[in-house]
Amino acid sequence: MRGALPTLLLAITAIAFGVAVPFAFLNTPTAQLAAGGLAQKIFYFHVPAAVAMYVGGTVCFGASIAYLLRDTDQRDALARAGAEVAVLFGALVLSSGPLWAKKAWGVYWTWDPRLTTALLSWSIYVAIVVLRQFAGEGSAERRFAAAIGVLGWFNLWLVHLSVQLWGGNHPTVVGRGGGGLGDPRMGQALGLGFLAVLLLTAVLVWLRTRLHVTEARLERAEQDALASSPENT
Amino acid sequence: MQQAPQPAPSSGTTIQDRSAQFVATSGGDETTSAEVLLVVAYLAMWFLVLAFVAISFRRLARLSERIDSLEAAGRTQPEPGGGEQ
Repeated sequence: MRGALPTLLLAITAIAFGVAVPFAFLNTPTAQLAAGGLAQKIFYFHVPAAVAMYVGGTVCFGASIAYLLRDTDQRDALARAGAEVAVLFGALVLSSGPLWAKKAWGVYWTWDPRLTTALLSWSIYVAIVVLRQFAGEGSAERRFAAAIGVLGWFNLWLVHLSVQLWGGNHPTVVGRGGGGLGDPRMGQALGLGFLAVLLLTAVLVWLRTRLHVTEARLERAEQDALASSPENT
Repeated sequence: MQQAPQPAPSSGTTIQDRSAQFVATSGGDETTSAEVLLVVAYLAMWFLVLAFVAISFRRLARLSERIDSLEAAGRTQPEPGGGEQ
């Protein structure tokens, strides 16, 4: 039963992608040229990936606070998994966005407030992942990473509100101040994109958390075995 | 009355109308293919996700190796109390 839920989740995720990708490619109309024309179809996974980055960052934030209150391997592993998933989906956003921008704006990158704050946020989560990967498993390193995880979450709000606060090139179509999607099929494709990407986010957070918890348990078992070996007694 | 010869239909300009120099302009129409950008974006996204999953599985394989070596070390270690008399 313990392994059945993730397998089921993985199967549903695969089905969701199997439906969402062809739907976005074949069933949605092409948007106006100013929005990138055919390249606008990147939107159906670009926006869900951005939300998945927020989810990863929020998981990291919650688990980091929990870890700072009481340090356990599970909480540390969840915070680390959240940061890793935020890095993955941030990379998806920052690679797909410029390709769309090339068609819509004529340039791959511009120091627009949304793009700049997104890059900054992504760099924060990269810093957490690099710190945890290379700085060891000590309590101080874990607490430091947790503190960055808490502070990094506030920057996600800056990314989210940057268009309203400072304007820039980045469009706001869905949500507050947006003009909405002009065709119901666009909304359906976006909904399917959200479903598929958020299911994938859940699967990956679960997978990485299990991985880090198992690593921590093994580390302790190795230390115990070393301490009880005849050479050390 | 004889008519003047017509210019060839393919040449719409005379030699005087052609560009005599090239000048730099800022901006201009975006000519990058949207199809190519769309396909590259989707391939990049799939590549990143699959690379992440592959890295996770490699780490799992390394964990399995460590568990195997720990188990092997446990088997070779003498039982507590079962040592030399």
